Amino acid sequence: MNGLVHLLPLTVLLPITAGALAPALFHRRGTACWIWALAAALLSLAAGIGLWRELYSGATISYPLGGWPPPYGIELVFDGVAALIPVLGALAVLILVASRRYVEATVPASRQSLFYALILINLGGMNGFVAAADLFNLFVWMEVFSISAYALVALARGPVAALAALKYLLVGAVSSLLVLLAVALLHAQTGSLNMGDVAGLLAAAEAPGASALALGCLVVGFLVKAAIFPLHFWLPDAHASAPSPVSALLSGLVVKMGIVGLVRTRMLFAEADVVPLLMPDTLLLWLGVIAILAGAVLAMVQRELKLMLAYSTVANMGYIALGLGLAAPAAVSGALAHTVYHATIKTGLFLTAGAVLLGTGLSRVDDLRGLGQRMPLTSGALVLGLLAATGIPPTAGFVGKWQIAIGALQAGRPWVIGVILAGALLTLGWAIRVINSLFFRPPARARVITAREAPASLLVPALLLALLAVSGGLFGAVLLGLVEPLALEFVGGGHGH
Amino acid sequence: MVILFAIGLYVVLTKQNLVKKIIGLNIMETAVFGLIVTSGMVTGGSPPLLGQGLEPPYASPIAHALVLTGIVVALSVTALALVLIIRVKAECGSIELDELLEPDE
Repeated sequence: MNGLVHLLPLTVLLPITAGALAPALFHRRGTACWIWALAAALLSLAAGIGLWRELYSGATISYPLGGWPPPYGIELVFDGVAALIPVLGALAVLILVASRRYVEATVPASRQSLFYALILINLGGMNGFVAAADLFNLFVWMEVFSISAYALVALARGPVAALAALKYLLVGAVSSLLVLLAVALLHAQTGSLNMGDVAGLLAAAEAPGASALALGCLVVGFLVKAAIFPLHFWLPDAHASAPSPVSALLSGLVVKMGIVGLVRTRMLFAEADVVPLLMPDTLLLWLGVIAILAGAVLAMVQRELKLMLAYSTVANMGYIALGLGLAAPAAVSGALAHTVYHATIKTGLFLTAGAVLLGTGLSRVDDLRGLGQRMPLTSGALVLGLLAATGIPPTAGFVGKWQIAIGALQAGRPWVIGVILAGALLTLGWAIRVINSLFFRPPARARVITAREAPASLLVPALLLALLAVSGGLFGAVLLGLVEPLALEFVGGGHGH
Repeated sequence: MVILFAIGLYVVLTKQNLVKKIIGLNIMETAVFGLIVTSGMVTGGSPPLLGQGLEPPYASPIAHALVLTGIVVALSVTALALVLIIRVKAECGSIELDELLEPDE
């Protein structure tokens, strides 16, 4: 164990500590707090990159907290799943950079430090969640990022935000309780909480029924967190009414935690091999198919830009669920790659939507006619992001969908390709409506005519993410190479496929 | 415990009053905590800190630590929910969900 190992708890504790201190140190000093938050997120990102380089030069990194060895102590691991930490860190840094002007304009001075504090705590919670190798810690970190997410939604002004946050809280709390119930059942059966240990002991457990119940609770709980249709109903309101940088954080990163939970659950139960996994896989497959179509259709009928983007998240989570449910190597690596790519695309899109909202104060697509002439860079970033979301090659959205289609052939379900294509075409349908409205229609609103280009601090992250989203497909082979070991591990454990 | 959990879930899903929903959530939480505590009794174990030679039965301290953490989490969720309900009441004038969702308001 060399010194680099200590970076792992640092990626979790640093943002949380910095976040907890921020309101005390920087009350009413928004800019100073912003620098503090950015520094903390950058350090966490640097630690994540250091760990990531270590992972790809050697073996999995494991850190026993407090020096107590697993299975008695709490263990953090940096494995294929936890390799998301640098991605989370990088996107969080961009979101923080973009937040500054948005927060100055929309959040009262007395609450600005709370905004940054909650974002940092959210980041720390997510880092802890992906690195947790202990079931109860999984629950605790999940609550850390969930509760901070509820509070972040509530930071927006207006009656809709408070109600949306409350709805999000109720649904989120019930799903968290299902996860806790599953943890309780597994603990009662095995007397252990460490995931590897539980998987080993579960095979000898006396009541397979309780294991099946635990699996069911975990799957449903994480399906809610991942907003897989029909458990998505909390998402559009929460994501659309939150402040735009928060929408980017929630839609880009926080919903992906549900997927991480599903991956961890399936790997645990595949290793234990007590419950047949065919049923949850089939469930994921079908829910994914329905989510792709329903999400795309619902996005089409929306009028508000942010609601469209929120329903597009529902559709994209469907792609990821579909890929995991197919349980073929190509489909799973496609789903994992799409998790990273969709995080990039959707963060960029919501930041761009924030820039539009900040510049014009308008959110309905029909009101935004002719914005392409006034805010060419912002509109351009929006168009690039939308094209990437439809999955036209060589954009980032293409790689995951292509891989899932190949996986569908491997799994002997060629009809899935039709669903993937239909989803892409429907997405193209509403994307074209937005593009048409922005560039090819005369302005209808005075505020569009007087609008000026968004500030650089918002524009640069949005453009960077848009360019990444469009060119992401070119690095597809690299990313697929990175997720492939995890995909093989994910599939390898399953039997009977 | 299962019955308590079911009652809580029923309350959360069916009651229109937001405060009642939070109470339902708390009932669910209590059910899960109860389940964890009952699983803490291990026959034939030995206490980790006091050493050998003591009379059974013993309770596993891990289960209690879990419940303690769980209670802290549940408390913060409840507190946040109540604050949000106050805000909903102040801004929308009602905490009955069916009234809030009527299109006229």
